[in-house]
Parts: sequence; C-alpha cells; structure tokens
Amino acid sequence: MTKILFADKLDSCVERWRSAGMTVIGPVQRTNSSMYDAVKSASELDLNLVLADRSIKELFFPQSEPMLRYNITKSEINTSEFLPPSGPRIIFGARACDASGLAIDDPLFGWDYKDEYWFQRRNESVIVTIACTKADEFCMCTSLKLAPDSTKGSDILLRPLENNKGWQVEELTDRGREAFKKVADLLQEGSDPAAATVSVPEKFDADACAEWLKNPENFNSHFWKEISLRCIGCGSCTYLCPTCHCFDIQDEGGSFEGIRRKNWDSCSFALFTMHTSGHNPRSTQSARWRQRIMHKFNYFPGKFSANSCSGCGRCTRECPVDMGITETLQEISKLSQ
Amino acid sequence: MSEPFEPKITAFVCTYCTYAGADLAGTSRLKYAPNVRIIRLPCTGRISPMFILKALQKGADGILISGCHPGDCHFTHGNYHARRRWMVFRALLAFTGIPEERIKYSWISAAEGLKFADLINSITEDIRKLGPFDQYHKLIEETQAPASL
Amino acid sequence: MSIEQLYRTRAKELLSSGEVKMVIGYGAGSNKERRRPLFITSAEECDKLVLDSACISNLSGYLLTEGLLSDEKRVAVFLRPEGVRALNVLAAEAQLDTAQIVIIGFDSPKGELKALEGSSVEEFTALITALKEITPETAGEEQLAKIEKMSPEERFLFWQEEFSKCIKCYACRQACPMCYCRRCIVDSNQPQWVNTSSHTLGNFEWNIVRAFHLSGRCVECGNCDRACPVNIPLRLINRKMAEEVLNSFNHFAGTSKTQEPVLASFKKDDSETFIL
Repeated sequence: MTKILFADKLDSCVERWRSAGMTVIGPVQRTNSSMYDAVKSASELDLNLVLADRSIKELFFPQSEPMLRYNITKSEINTSEFLPPSGPRIIFGARACDASGLAIDDPLFGWDYKDEYWFQRRNESVIVTIACTKADEFCMCTSLKLAPDSTKGSDILLRPLENNKGWQVEELTDRGREAFKKVADLLQEGSDPAAATVSVPEKFDADACAEWLKNPENFNSHFWKEISLRCIGCGSCTYLCPTCHCFDIQDEGGSFEGIRRKNWDSCSFALFTMHTSGHNPRSTQSARWRQRIMHKFNYFPGKFSANSCSGCGRCTRECPVDMGITETLQEISKLSQ
Repeated sequence: MSEPFEPKITAFVCTYCTYAGADLAGTSRLKYAPNVRIIRLPCTGRISPMFILKALQKGADGILISGCHPGDCHFTHGNYHARRRWMVFRALLAFTGIPEERIKYSWISAAEGLKFADLINSITEDIRKLGPFDQYHKLIEETQAPASL
Repeated sequence: MSIEQLYRTRAKELLSSGEVKMVIGYGAGSNKERRRPLFITSAEECDKLVLDSACISNLSGYLLTEGLLSDEKRVAVFLRPEGVRALNVLAAEAQLDTAQIVIIGFDSPKGELKALEGSSVEEFTALITALKEITPETAGEEQLAKIEKMSPEERFLFWQEEFSKCIKCYACRQACPMCYCRRCIVDSNQPQWVNTSSHTLGNFEWNIVRAFHLSGRCVECGNCDRACPVNIPLRLINRKMAEEVLNSFNHFAGTSKTQEPVLASFKKDDSETFIL
C-alpha cells in the first residue's frame, strides 16, 4: 500500500496550499509558449507537457532581478537593497531534469559567497516532481546518469498511476512531508500500480566525453570549429538551460539615481568576454561553444563533482539551427573511442 | 493625487530652425506653456527613434519633433530623410499600440516664433486631455519593483 | 532525377571544378521534420545534402561569416526567393559582392518543391518583382487583420503580453541575415541605449528598435520568427512594416542589388500629412 494523490483531489490540494499562504506554481501554457508560473487552480496546470519550453530556473534566478536602488545627492549617497520576495511556494509538476538542475546549481550559488536571492527562494520552495511517462527525441537525462524519475533536487516524487487517475506519492524531504501534511486527508492509501517511466535511450558516454575534454590537446582541436560552424550565436540554449547560471550586473538609470539589476548573460554572446580595450579572448563562435561544453562537462565537474547538465534537451529542442549538447557530445564520444 | 495633471512634453528640435524659432518666441516675450522640455539637436536627421522611445520610457507624456521646412535644411536634406523615418516609425508605434497622438511632428522656421508658442500651447492642451501616459508609466513602475516570483 | 539529386550533382560539379570553395546547403536534422545548415567543401560530402519542403531557413546570413568572402573566392548557397532578395539587400548595403555568390535556387509553394532557374541574382529579377504583388503564405494575414481592428489600448495589451515573454536571448537578431552590425545597438553601453534587463518595458524597446531597423530591409524569410524560443509572432510586425514601406514609398526590399535603401533615400514629395 502506498499513498496516492488522485487527480480529482488536486484542485482541493491547490486550494488548501493556497489558503495556507503558499504560492502554487506549475507548468502552464501561455500564448504559444509554456513555462512554470503561478496558478490559482489546478485546471490551469498543463501536466501533459513533456517539458515546459522554459526551465524552472527562472523561478529561482529570474532573468532580471533588482538588487538595489541608489541615489546620490550633494551631501550623501543612499542605497536601499531589494531582498528577494519571501513566502512559501510549492512547485507542482516539475520534471526530474529541471529539479536536478536546481540541485546542480546549489553548490555553485553557495560556494564562496552565498547567493541569498537563490537560497531564500530555494529554502522556501517545495518541489513536487512528476516522473515522466513520455519523452521526446531530445530528452537525454539517462546519458547524464539521471533518470525520468530521479529524485535529485525534489522534495516529493509523484509516480503517475497506470490508470492515469493520479499519482503515487514518495515523500523525500522534510520540507516535502510538511507540505503534504497539509493535504494528508486528501491522500488515500491504495495499491494502484504506477505506470512505467519512459525509457530514454542513452545517447552518449558522458564519462568518455569528460576524459576527452580533460585532455589539453583537444582544446585546440579542429573539431570545435566544425561542430559549431552553423551556430549563429544567439543565447537561447543558455537562457532555456536549467543549469546555465551566468549573469551580468547592470546599473539602470542616470548618474544620480537608478537601480542595480542582475540580468542573465550568455557565453554565446561575443560581448560576454569583450574587454574594454576591444580585445576579445573568445573571438569566434567556436571558442564560445567550446567554452559552453567545457564549462558544463569539464570545469564545473572539476570544481563541484557533477556535470552542469541535467539532460533536459532544451538546447537542441529550441535551437534555431538544430545544434545542441547532444550532437556535440555524441561526436565527442565517437572521437574518444 | 490631488494636484491637477501637468503633462511632461519633450521636444526634440533642430538647432537651425525650430530652436531659433523657440528663441524668437522668447525674445518676443511670447508666453507659452511651461510643460515642454526642449532638447536641441543639429538636425532633425539626427533624431533617432530611440530618442522618442527613451523619452517615453523616462516618463514623457507627449513628444514634439520639429525642424526646418522642406527645402530649408541647413544640411540640404536631413529633414527629408527624417520625414521618411517618421512615417515608418509612426506606423510601427501605431501597430504596437503606442498612441500616435502623443507624438507630434512639425516644421517651424527661425521666423515662426509665434507658431512655436501656439503649437506648444495646443500640444500641451491635447496631451492634458489625453491624460498621463499610463500604459508606459505602469511598465516603468514594474521595472522598479521586485520580481513577483 | 529528383531536384535533390540534381542539386547534389550540381554542387559536386561546382566543387570539383573549383568554381566555388564551399556550398552552403541543408542536411538532415535531429528529427524527421528538421533540417540543419550544412557547409560543404568537398565533392564527396555532397551526398549529405538534403533538399525538400522542410528546408525553410534562409541561409544567406552565413555568407557574412567573418572571413568567408574575403579571399574573393566564390561560394554557392541554397536559397529560396526570399534568400535571393536578402542577397540583393546585402549587396545594396555593400555587405557582399554578389559576383562571389552562386545561387542554387528553389522554392516550395504549397509544399511542392521546385527548382528555380538561374545562378546569379540578376536572373531572379523577374521572379522577385512578381512577388511584390503576392502576400507571403506565412504572413499571418488573419491575425494581422485582427490586430488592426483592435483599439490602440488592446493592441498595446496584445504586444505587452507577447513582449513580456521575451528573454532577450537575441535569437531573432542572430538568425536575421540583415542583422549584421558588428556592434548592435543593444551592445552599446556608452550610453546604454537599450536596457539589458528583460522587463517588459525594455522588451518593448528592443522589439520596436529591431522592427524599425528592419523596416524596408526585411525580406520576410521568417528566420527570426522561427528562432524565437518563446514564440513571439515577429512575422506580424515584419509584415506590417513591409506593407507600410510598400504603401508609402512603393518599396519592396531586395528587388535588385543596386536598389536604394528606403530609409537612406527620399523623394521631395514624400507624404507629410501628419506634420503640423
């Protein structure tokens, strides 16, 4: 016997969480594009999506975030900080890749300096992941040693029932248990079997790729140019990626008053590494693509012992020229044999 | 807000004609509405549409763009180029729902001090009737507030 | 022989005779619906070329890849009529010399692939001029009509909703063959003309500036619209601006390589009914 949340009870759950002061967030369809966003009722959720177009990271690391307001008068300089908005949240219907992505970025945001914007949101969010029963050709979590039902980064894992009527509930963390205590009476004990998770074929050998990337000889390999010839240098792969975390700090306003904001930035942009002198150490798109792959599969694991990729496949799925991590690592796998 | 609405109008003008016209209005002691902030540029050809967007973004309720009459341009055809650009830009603003009636265009020569004063008065009244450019003001406010999530 | 076969053979001939140093075409993508740009430099690789109605992206932008045309050698490129128009615009703006380009032309009206005669831009003049009268299939006329019927407030709300999704990844800019500026206005930071922040206000600004810079230059290839990861209907703005320059100045972008750019030219009797 396991705990089961039946789909027809979901609306009551949402209501219960909301009345307990929690913001309920989940995958929703907006005009022509899907994303994780706050909802008022369960009917707004689209739990049939393979994966929302936009990743979960925006909920923790928004594309543009005010940090402080400043004004300068004749006699003084005033600054006032913006702290991240607080309040408990429950993210219902995350995917394992998205949730893992958050866990991958945790050590980064807490490494030498603890990013309070990130951690306040992390500490106040309960992540309820639904194991995947479908995938598309771009999914690649299994190649990254994750799975459609990975628990990394999740507080609750729901497994869809075979009869499609609800989910088996696996409570993973205290935070998850706490949130589900609020709806304990809406759950039922049952023995309905869970549907099989989707099988996602392994597309490349991540370990072999890591070895190849570590070899300094390969840094200047001709491969980088060939693989990225068609890259147009937009930032959509980085901006949709659940683990890409680069940002830029910008002052918006005039000399005497304004706002300091933290905005996403992307290693795909030429401007990313442009020096004031005009010199650009990563002057070609191939150098930028190499940086992205090296960062994710060589430098990041070197420092934090995990690949900076959770295998969601958004980079390939949304790429205007059909590039992406999958193809690059497949090619590297071939080279490393 | 109990104070009556006073529109903020930004005027981008060319130095050779409209600015001189404004100067004439001043030396002629003509009174006109104090709602206008004049920005002097070398030529209407120098007025990038970006200026208009920036002015709106910084809180202007109305815009005036003014320069030499056709044929009078100090640089012979800066105003002809500007005219084409405005034509296209107006269509773009209209299509994106930014009310075109808040953006006015005029030719005012160095001799037309009276036209300048009259125009400023009438534009100020027009914009006053339209009220504050709320659509943009709301978006401006949004940029100052913490993100909702 | 299928058109694909025909063009593979042509590409082989061009490469093995040394007439071109590279063929830019399409190859198989990561799934059945997708095609990806392919850069071929040897005759043996030509069998990788794919050509069918799914080959929709406009490849002309790749011709401006730094250094590609600087050795004065020639490059062949697969182009639809919009692509040829783009070549003309780029040539008119002195970005490339069309003598260096060998066009491999094709089109697929209503999904049916057909080859287009000719290899230099001049040979396409009649075809392009005829296009002036035709609204492109992808233009979204219905939606456009709907937007035009809206009140300004409704239109503002419509675009506010659309632009609020923008994440400023600049895929629209990067995918566009006309966006070749070494330093885009959004990359200028002294002064910072366009905010890097992707709040709705900044997004409005970026999208308006983008559309304005493309007015009278856009050939409606749809690269930007397809590249947008959040699916903002950029084609609608592009269509509107194309209509505007056609109606106001009888200008259709890319009819010839010597065409005067519409916003860098004027007529003394241009309309000025809106000027006080």
